[in-house]
Amino acid sequence: MHMLDVLCQQVVNGLALGMMYALLALGFTMVYGIIELINFSHFSVFMTGTFVGLVVLSLMGVAPGSASLTGLPLVGILIVLFAVTMAATGLLGVLIERICLRPVRHVSGTAPMITTIGVAFILINVVLLTWGPQAQRFPQLLPNWRWTIEGVEITFKQVVLFAVAIILMVSLSHLVKRTTLGKAMRATAQDADAARMMGIDVDRVVVLTFFLGSALAGAGSLFFGLYYGFTGYYIGYTTGLRAFTSAVLGGIGSIPGAVLGGLFIGLTQSLGGQFIGVKWTDVIIFSILIFVLVFRPNGLLGAQTPRRA
Amino acid sequence: MRALRDRWRGLEIGRRRRILAPVLLAIGLLFPIITSNAGNVDAAANAFTYVLLALGLNIVVGFAGLLDLGYAAFFAIGAYGYGIAASGQLKPEWSSLWVPLEWAGQVSRLAVPGQPETVQFHFSFWPMLAVSAIVCAIFGMLFGTPTLRLRGDYLAIVTLGFGEIVPVVARNWEGLTNGAQGLGGIRTPRLFGFDFGFSPYPYYFLGLALAAVGVWISIRLQESRVGRAWMAIREDELAAGAMGVNHVHYKLLAFAMGAAVGGLGGTFYVAKLTTATPDMFTFPVSVMVLVMVVLGGLGSIRGVVVAALFVAFLQSVILQDLTQYVHALGRAVGSAWLQRVELVTSLELIFGLILVLMMIFRREGLWPAVRRVSALTHEQQAAAPARGSVVKLSWAHAPASEGSTHPLLRVERLTKQFGGLSAAADINLTVHAGELVSVIGPNGSGKTTLFNLITGLIRPDAGSVRLDGREIAGSPPHEIVARGVARTFQNIRLFNNLSVLENLLVGEHVRLEAGVLGAIVRPPRVRAEEQRAVSSALEVLEIFGNRLLPRLDHPVYGLSYANRRRTEIARAIMTRPKLLLLDEPAAGMNPAETLELMDLIKALRAFGITVILIEHKLDMVMDVSDRIVVLDHGVKIAEGAPAHVRSDERVIEAYLGRRRAA
Repeated sequence: MHMLDVLCQQVVNGLALGMMYALLALGFTMVYGIIELINFSHFSVFMTGTFVGLVVLSLMGVAPGSASLTGLPLVGILIVLFAVTMAATGLLGVLIERICLRPVRHVSGTAPMITTIGVAFILINVVLLTWGPQAQRFPQLLPNWRWTIEGVEITFKQVVLFAVAIILMVSLSHLVKRTTLGKAMRATAQDADAARMMGIDVDRVVVLTFFLGSALAGAGSLFFGLYYGFTGYYIGYTTGLRAFTSAVLGGIGSIPGAVLGGLFIGLTQSLGGQFIGVKWTDVIIFSILIFVLVFRPNGLLGAQTPRRA
Repeated sequence: MRALRDRWRGLEIGRRRRILAPVLLAIGLLFPIITSNAGNVDAAANAFTYVLLALGLNIVVGFAGLLDLGYAAFFAIGAYGYGIAASGQLKPEWSSLWVPLEWAGQVSRLAVPGQPETVQFHFSFWPMLAVSAIVCAIFGMLFGTPTLRLRGDYLAIVTLGFGEIVPVVARNWEGLTNGAQGLGGIRTPRLFGFDFGFSPYPYYFLGLALAAVGVWISIRLQESRVGRAWMAIREDELAAGAMGVNHVHYKLLAFAMGAAVGGLGGTFYVAKLTTATPDMFTFPVSVMVLVMVVLGGLGSIRGVVVAALFVAFLQSVILQDLTQYVHALGRAVGSAWLQRVELVTSLELIFGLILVLMMIFRREGLWPAVRRVSALTHEQQAAAPARGSVVKLSWAHAPASEGSTHPLLRVERLTKQFGGLSAAADINLTVHAGELVSVIGPNGSGKTTLFNLITGLIRPDAGSVRLDGREIAGSPPHEIVARGVARTFQNIRLFNNLSVLENLLVGEHVRLEAGVLGAIVRPPRVRAEEQRAVSSALEVLEIFGNRLLPRLDHPVYGLSYANRRRTEIARAIMTRPKLLLLDEPAAGMNPAETLELMDLIKALRAFGITVILIEHKLDMVMDVSDRIVVLDHGVKIAEGAPAHVRSDERVIEAYLGRRRAA
């Protein structure tokens, strides 16, 4: 294959991957924006989402070996799959917030973050003990259609994922910018105490933020399953840390930044894998993470936070 | 029994340790004989690795408050360091450079017919222990450097990044590490011709010795100038800087010491296991060590050691035994599922539960570091406040720097802008030794900014600050403290979880010298220095009469507001300042306490300390000051004797507003 074709192909693959990272990074960045917490449990909510998807599909009679669907059945099943999985992961996020994180929300220092690490370990191991350590096949719902444009292959999967991701992101953006809830979220992010005094129910805003973020992680988890065709208890950690890097790169707390960062990390993974070597992918991504945190902690689009003396 | 317990509690801590240490060591030494089961001895030897790791992480997280989520990296570096030096992994070509090492018996020449000669490594375990510790310390500083400017959470993420990178490098750099298969055939330690081999017994005693050394180092560090500096940074980094602690130096030192102890653990573990693979050092290992530290209590040495032993015991004994019982139960009730359960695989689930439950219900750990202090007696509580009778501090400076041609402090054209706001504009101020100058002005007039500029917490945009004729503007806070400028804060910034005495000893940081080695070995020089520091603290507390002395060992978060103010002033005096900056010391004090404070400030001047005072209580200012400086919107609008300032038109205008044109 021609060098340029390879490049273009990897850009297409990278953007599709990037959409998944972006969805995951969004939940991450929203929670950080509201309560300044690095939420490790987000990664395992994402991982749990793939298993929720498996259960939902098997309840609808789609087994890992089933043939791919087309037409209305496909659309119907996809809608139900996304709706139920996102609702389930959203609720999981709410549960985590209510049970584990609210008691430590006002504790200064690293206690809340350590709690989220604990939650992540609990979820990972519950899944591990329930489904076992081996990878699970994820049903290949989407037909294997592909088109070649100018030597670059685009698959139907990528088109669907792109479309769903963009629908979700536009809805989120609308919600944050145009609705009362969005205004309450932005106010809470600026100053939770002031927001409380203006009559905003901050606890409710935090819960809803966890719901939305975790629901987006659920969507991201379906992307993972549909794209790679497998899942396992261990997928959350690596994918999650890449998504976290996306959020940091874009500027933690910034919603457009999370999308931009996600796309960038997707591209880094596909291009780096092609031109440097898959085995070094994580070293590259973590180096980006460290460099950004050290030299530009506000990321590409992050707001300049005032420092208190 | 009860009487025995009370007697034990009555003993001072040093006596207790001298009794406890031999008892614990004896139990440790006798354990293999008592159990007479090689499996238990082997498990205990592994447990000592956990103890070392937990002690190392406790230095970083518990003492210095730096959450390290990639601590397993140092375990890995220590392990691979010895593994590579004691196996046939690297086979460099022979050259004469290797001859000295060959004489020392650390390498040998390997000749295969038809090929160039190569070097076979078989470095001895004992020097490698030290080498591993040093290499890890260097990596600790290397990984720590990028985190110096970061806040808690971000710092943790960067350490996590390094923690991920190290095993990936170990997996992919096959020439050095033999990749995913890992190093094999690592030589076991030898001592005087005795090969440790594969029996668990020698490793048990070696592990016991290393763990004992780890505990000893931890205790010595905690109770030293170094440990106090770490805890000050943990409690309040900014205040620590203002008390003379160089946070860059001490944070890196914490990373280095923590890494070195972890490296010892790695070296020991690999020598025992004789193999090292990248999977042994992944994120779950870092979390496991964190679980031990959280469970025992951040900063609590005894707690962390017990927690490490418990986790090891849980892993190698409790869960396995429990599994047997559950299987037996399953056979009894005929449940196939119960017979299949493997509780050991749920270890990480238990770790997760421990972290969450501890964070929600018992953040200080099961056996926390803060010791309970006896409450004050009724007499102590009811005692009438008495001022101390101190008339002179033993280290007091000459009242006026005689013969010096410079004023003590000369501020010239000092300017600072925050965005469009001018917090200090062209401020000139001269303070002579022995003076007491007050700075007043409405809220937001730039008084605290002036203090921040003088003490180096913020850098001026322009202008100079000279102390004894030498420029200090732009120097970091800890250097300015060392030069003799100390301060208190408007909203008290004490080290809340430390006792009154410990707070004061941090204040003495810049007047002491002990480094890490001094802290650990504690030679007579350091011993004398520590004694001097404590007596100096008692001397300073004496100034406050019976206010603080009975509360010497109380953590400061429990003190009354006025006593916290007093502690903060005492802490500042401990730095032996020539110039003391007090930022609203009387704020929140009642009239009686304010009077007491005025006496104190006058006494300070009598001790030869020059004072600059920010205060809103004008009657107090008028009474104690030699001279008053008035600021408004960052500009000095008046300066002079109290009577003069009181009648100044511009001052009245700034405070009360412009009078209507008459």
